[in-house]
Amino acid sequence: MAEFEPKIVAFVCNWCTYAGADLTGTSRIKYASNVRIIRFPCTGRIDYMLLLKAFDEGADGIIVSGCHPNDCHYTSGNFHARRRWIMFRSLCDFTGIDTERIKFSWVSAAEGAKWADIVNATVASVRELGPYTEYKKVAKYPEKEVSHG
Amino acid sequence: MDDLIKRAKELIETSAVKVVIGYEQGTGNKTRALFVEKSEDADKLIFDSRCVQNLAAYVTKKEVKEKGKMAIAATLPVMRSIIQLASEFQVNDNNLLVLGITPESKLIEFGNLVEVETFVHQYTIEIDARNKEMLDKLAKMTQAERWKFWIDELAPCFKCYACRAACPMCYCHQCTVDFNQPQWIPVPSHELGNLEWHIMRAIHLTGRCIDCDACYNACPLSIPINLLTKKMLEDAKEHFGGYQPALKGDHLMSTYKPDDKENFIH
Amino acid sequence: MSKIGVFVCHCGENISATVDCAKVAETAGNYDGVAYSVDYKYMCSDPGQNLIKSAIKEKGLTGVVVASCSPRMHEPTFRKACAEAGLNPFMCEMANLREHCSWVHEKGEATTEKAIDLVRILVEKVKYNHSLSEIKVPVTKTALVIGGGIAGIQASLDIANTGHKVILIERDPSIGGHMSQLSETFPTLDCSQCILTPRMVEVAQHPNITLYTYAELESLEGFIGNFKAKIRRKSKSLDEKLCTGCGLCTTKCPAKKIPSEFNEGLGKRTAIYVPFPQAVPNKPVIDRINCTYYIKGKCKICEIVCPTGAIRFDQEDQIMEVEVGAIVIATGFTVKQPDFFPEYGFGKYPDVITGLQFERLASASGPTLGEIRRPSDGKIPEKIVFLACAGSRDPAKGIPYCSKICCMYIAKHAMLYQHKVHGGKSYVFYMDIRAGGKMYEEFVRRAIEDDGVNYIRGRVSRIYEKNGKLIVDGADTLLNAMPVEIEADMVVLATAGVANEGAEELAQKLHISYDPYKFFAEAHPKLKPVETNTAGIFLAGACQAPRDIPESVAMASGAAVKVAGLFSQDELTREPIIAVVNRQAPPVYSSCVGCFLCISTCPYQAIEKEEIKNRNGEVIKSMAKVNPGLCQGCGTCVAFCRTKSIDIQGYTHEQMYTEVMALLNEY
Repeated sequence: MAEFEPKIVAFVCNWCTYAGADLTGTSRIKYASNVRIIRFPCTGRIDYMLLLKAFDEGADGIIVSGCHPNDCHYTSGNFHARRRWIMFRSLCDFTGIDTERIKFSWVSAAEGAKWADIVNATVASVRELGPYTEYKKVAKYPEKEVSHG
Repeated sequence: MDDLIKRAKELIETSAVKVVIGYEQGTGNKTRALFVEKSEDADKLIFDSRCVQNLAAYVTKKEVKEKGKMAIAATLPVMRSIIQLASEFQVNDNNLLVLGITPESKLIEFGNLVEVETFVHQYTIEIDARNKEMLDKLAKMTQAERWKFWIDELAPCFKCYACRAACPMCYCHQCTVDFNQPQWIPVPSHELGNLEWHIMRAIHLTGRCIDCDACYNACPLSIPINLLTKKMLEDAKEHFGGYQPALKGDHLMSTYKPDDKENFIH
Repeated sequence: MSKIGVFVCHCGENISATVDCAKVAETAGNYDGVAYSVDYKYMCSDPGQNLIKSAIKEKGLTGVVVASCSPRMHEPTFRKACAEAGLNPFMCEMANLREHCSWVHEKGEATTEKAIDLVRILVEKVKYNHSLSEIKVPVTKTALVIGGGIAGIQASLDIANTGHKVILIERDPSIGGHMSQLSETFPTLDCSQCILTPRMVEVAQHPNITLYTYAELESLEGFIGNFKAKIRRKSKSLDEKLCTGCGLCTTKCPAKKIPSEFNEGLGKRTAIYVPFPQAVPNKPVIDRINCTYYIKGKCKICEIVCPTGAIRFDQEDQIMEVEVGAIVIATGFTVKQPDFFPEYGFGKYPDVITGLQFERLASASGPTLGEIRRPSDGKIPEKIVFLACAGSRDPAKGIPYCSKICCMYIAKHAMLYQHKVHGGKSYVFYMDIRAGGKMYEEFVRRAIEDDGVNYIRGRVSRIYEKNGKLIVDGADTLLNAMPVEIEADMVVLATAGVANEGAEELAQKLHISYDPYKFFAEAHPKLKPVETNTAGIFLAGACQAPRDIPESVAMASGAAVKVAGLFSQDELTREPIIAVVNRQAPPVYSSCVGCFLCISTCPYQAIEKEEIKNRNGEVIKSMAKVNPGLCQGCGTCVAFCRTKSIDIQGYTHEQMYTEVMALLNEY
């Protein structure tokens, strides 16, 4: 069997991390191709429900990333996000969701190399953890099994 | 509770309020909500240790609100809920009169919500010893054990939404669980849908829940879903110094501090 | 049913070298709702854009996905192309196959798979896109220029000359910046002050420019066309209207031994002072930290001698609020200071100085009246050593970049030294000579060939004192790293140009990005060098990176024309990426329950209460409402709203949900 390739979804803000990942590109820094970026205007826009949806749909790991504190393009979206993450992450942990699979980070528009490091580190750690079978097991509700027959 | 009955009669007779919300004897050994609109019905009002249902859940209901000004027999948790509801603009002095019942079962009639707030601020919200023990037990489990605990606990939930109906803070007309464009929470009551529904509920109540246990008491299967909100209460204290309902000021989750601390953001 | 067009760009070979573009286009062509899918060499070129336009017209496309570079690069290009073909521009989305895929992964199946996924996400998203119309907002036609060095001066004058108002703020007591400190300028050797001071005066006299010196930005709110800036006018302890600038106070002030900032510590000033004789405005300020009255509670000699009674010891800082439509940041740079060079003895040996200090020594208005005399004993140095790259191009020191201006000013310094000290010997240690610029290389050759400056290619390991001489230990890498030891009388370090202290805080106040060195970040390294990522805020001069005078001036004029362009419109169009509270049919009106917790989540105070009344004027519903003029589209309220009653155009619940579903269903 081929080596397990984790599916990683990245929820990033447009102004810092998305731009940072652009810089990774312009700097031609290579990183693992397992990640798929979904662009949000701001970390403040990232709905915690979307993180659960990503696990539902089979993500093995999630990256959530935005501007460093004080650097938010919208002044305080990331501060709001941070407070929400603190509570959401704790609740996930409390319900037994594997929080090791959610990597939160601040990557600025100037941190192209950091973005590559974050992706590589997440891919490596999730590869180690293996597929998120616990979640996938409960996520396979009947109608989905039929449609994928 | 003779003075409660007397006062309820006066309020109805003088048309100071249109409805008094209190407790009456239900079937078996249970109590249930009573809506006094006629003075003679006030005689059915009771109050004792069995009256734990959070009556504040009714003050936002359209059917009750439409009757006109309300009075409510309010224990400490109910008063807390009312202050939280007032801070969210759901009730105010014009539509609600609070007939407070102190922890010593004494009746206090409050002139306005500011007085209610002052009263409830004398008491801090504390998680009871039994549940505290349970939280500690869960904290000591491994993540996998907690996962199993919750999947097992939530498995029998059939989404009757009694928890939602009992909660004074679940007053939204359109709950996200009922959304289908997109369908945030899967409709069937299987493990995943149940888990997500209860996570969502706990998040929505973070910073707003006053720990009355109405959700747990209402659950026909006695699933300890109140542990989720209790955990959030505990975390709010640990990370942000806690909260209590207040008429004015910042809400826990709609504000932030630039120096909020965490140890997991890389 | 959607009819979506997918346009996969090769970007020359930038994408196609690692991604199988034909396969991406072919796969996308099979998705539900995709009516047309094609790959092409350069989608942003004219023929590429025409391909999109004609497909929109011929196939009646309802949505477009361009799979090419970052949307931060070409989203406006492709949206415009769609609009030209009659498709609402907001029906166009971009999949980032270049920066996020082809450039960062090796050629292979996995990379093509990723490209396919990225396209699929956007195809599904675009199905939920809605036609949006741009929002019009008014423009306040006043510019705020921060920093009164040459860049700020030039930008202010250029904007003011287009007929628009300018507010120029400078944190020091006078405008002029570093340029006013310079002796002569390369490559022409004309006197810096002679060309600068007329401009300074012009600023002060220009009817369209309001100048506030000793003033700093306190905070900034708002957005392009409609900023609100709070400016702190630091107390000068002076009534400027009464002060005539006679200067009597500065001659009588007893605190005379304060190192002069203007002379880089090589001269002294008083506590009440005008930084230099040509200062604009030419009125003093009291430096409260060094003033005897503020330290000891008595003195007030300046108040006694002032003929107009202009001294105000109890004056407080003033906070002033101004409304501006655009901002030019021209806050300049600074140079690395002593503690950075322990190996060179800077700070320990008084005759090891910085390039800026040398400028003051060489300047006719400087502490030595233009004679090159060393700080320790005032002797004229017979041997002088110049060190290029003191700190610059030194990753170990945390400054990997080239400070750019040093090669030229070192040549100038050495040349000035040779002109002023006949028979003197000068040496320059350098890594490379970087003299790219009009007449620059010729200038350096003149220093070497005509003026006999000794250029030694190599670095200096240390400098120490022996018998009253500064021993410079270096190596000549052109002579096989042969050790070179020079007994010098004075050493000048071309210290690295770095971002100002406080640059980070300023960037945060302005909500602009900055690079790892804390220089402010331009919106695009090539095509938007004076813009920032925040619309309406522009950059000029060395706050963006080390710049010489012609570059700073060019940037300032560039920024000025951007401002003027902005001010040429009475209304601006803004992207309609804003939050909206849903509306439903009566009697519900909206799913919003009016808890108004969203109000405190909004960074822009854009959410207000809306009351819906019946015919009798009774309130039947209270709900949140987003002011489209204030909303900036962060979506912080959207993720917070329990009932999902607020949504954000362009990043709606359905769109984001669909993106996650589309990605993972097949991934």
